[in-house]
Amino acid sequence: MVGEPPVPAGHEARVADIQAALRAGRVPSATLARLEATRDGRMPWVATLTPAELLSVRSHGLRPLAAIAATCWMHYGWSWTEGHAQGWNAALARLKEEAKAVGANAVLDVKMRTIPLGIENSMDFTLIGTAARVEGMPPSNDPIVATVPALEFVKLLEADIVPTGIAVGAQYDWLNDWAGNTNQIYAGNVETTVLSQFWERIRQRAHAELRRNAAGQGNGVLAHVNFGQLFRIEANDQKQFLGRQIVVATTVDTPRRGKAAGGPWDIGPKAGPAIPHDIGIVVDMHAGGTPLTGRARHHQSYGSNERDGAI
Amino acid sequence: MPNDIPVHARERLKGLRTAAHSTGVFTSDFSVNEFLLVRKAGFEPIGLCMGTCVYHVGYQFGSWSRNQEMEVLSRAMYHARELAMARMRAEATAMNADGIVGVKLTIKRLEWDEHLLEFIAIGTGVVHGEGHKGFRAHDGGPFTSDLSGQDFWSLLHSGYRPVEMVMGSCVYHVAHRGMLAGLASAGRNVELENFTSAMYEAREIAVDRMQAEAQAAQAEGVVGVDIHEGSHVWKPHVIEFFAIGTAVVPLAQEILPEKIADPMLVLSVND
Repeated sequence: MVGEPPVPAGHEARVADIQAALRAGRVPSATLARLEATRDGRMPWVATLTPAELLSVRSHGLRPLAAIAATCWMHYGWSWTEGHAQGWNAALARLKEEAKAVGANAVLDVKMRTIPLGIENSMDFTLIGTAARVEGMPPSNDPIVATVPALEFVKLLEADIVPTGIAVGAQYDWLNDWAGNTNQIYAGNVETTVLSQFWERIRQRAHAELRRNAAGQGNGVLAHVNFGQLFRIEANDQKQFLGRQIVVATTVDTPRRGKAAGGPWDIGPKAGPAIPHDIGIVVDMHAGGTPLTGRARHHQSYGSNERDGAI
Repeated sequence: MPNDIPVHARERLKGLRTAAHSTGVFTSDFSVNEFLLVRKAGFEPIGLCMGTCVYHVGYQFGSWSRNQEMEVLSRAMYHARELAMARMRAEATAMNADGIVGVKLTIKRLEWDEHLLEFIAIGTGVVHGEGHKGFRAHDGGPFTSDLSGQDFWSLLHSGYRPVEMVMGSCVYHVAHRGMLAGLASAGRNVELENFTSAMYEAREIAVDRMQAEAQAAQAEGVVGVDIHEGSHVWKPHVIEFFAIGTAVVPLAQEILPEKIADPMLVLSVND
């Protein structure tokens, strides 16, 4: 077939509905209808979980409901770096709306994705996960968002640690080196203090923002992305540096053990919560990653940062 | 030689051949762990099943400034995969398999023609060791599943059996930025709503098609779902959303909860 294709039936109305719904913070109608049918059992449930995860999820009373997703496509007119915080936060809010629509308490196995369509000065922020309901609990008004696979989610729950959401700290700054402070005059070993300090300021600000962003969601974070870039840009005979730091973390909520529980250095077996079964230590002869090590690539939005040893 | 090696294995080690398989040979692409767990689940591999399809993907041009599904391309991507899967399943039926596990569905570009794609489906046909026919799909043919042998064992132990690999495809043209968005948004971080809604519409179409297939297969749910985005032979701005998973139904005789093995927490010392 050659030439302009006919516009599929209902397309214009559907797109208008999607845009209106997203602006109003609602779930688009077509998705809502499907999620409600899934919630009521009129459509099959859909889970990104593996069967091994299904098994442990069943043993812990978590029912998978629907694979849900949210996207926010940002254009960076102002700041590429800060766009990341805005983009992920918008996607997170939309994901929670879908989770609520399907009657979930939690979204498991949430993956951060970027769709590879190279469109200038823009990037999409996509979250995909499985909405699940805890048996015997009413649906939540503020479902938790767990970036860990279901097996790790259960493992954390047993230790009384609840993964609750995603926190982002994204900061950048420019350094105009008109005085030539970064020029290397001395040929020996010497710290480039100006750059060190510049870099450290940005990183501290990014981490401070991460803390602020996390505070509303839990009392701790497990940082899994630490993405930093430092550029030297030369224009009009002036040296400029751009530094940007993006930290993305899973927030967790866990009761703190005080002195009464044995003091901060007492990590004896009685200190932690009781886990209802044995913990074994194994030498895993399987060469590849296992579901438990969670080494399968879970997030691909900051892939180039992997060799830096993200946690 | 230690006594706990089974008689049969000992005979093989002495160089004697088995008489268990009528043709003397079965083929599979199982790893050792997969093989052990498929047998532990009560199944025997009988042979690799394969289906291929070389497909000429037709033309379709998206309107430059419009978001829309490229229905001709969606149909092509779906139809070609379905042909490869149906051929694989026909091979399994011919060898009287009850199902196919570990199906790998791949797409290859053929370099001499940018419109030619080769679709390959390959998996291991298995039969129930005691001839139980209750594991077949809703239409009486072999079930299909992209689950590995380990996943297959785990699935049965969580009270489900696989019915059919289900999928949904949507090839979508994302509009170019000809909508004044570039001018209006200069200097500000703004959401590009037309792109966001394009992603929403395309993903919704793909997931909806997959879920409808699962419903047609009378499944209770779909596990191991992946929704991925790929650009196969098309220009930038054209992208395929592809949703795939294994539709499952509860076992007729569900495993009693107390029989489901308690999960064991394992701390790997590997990393």
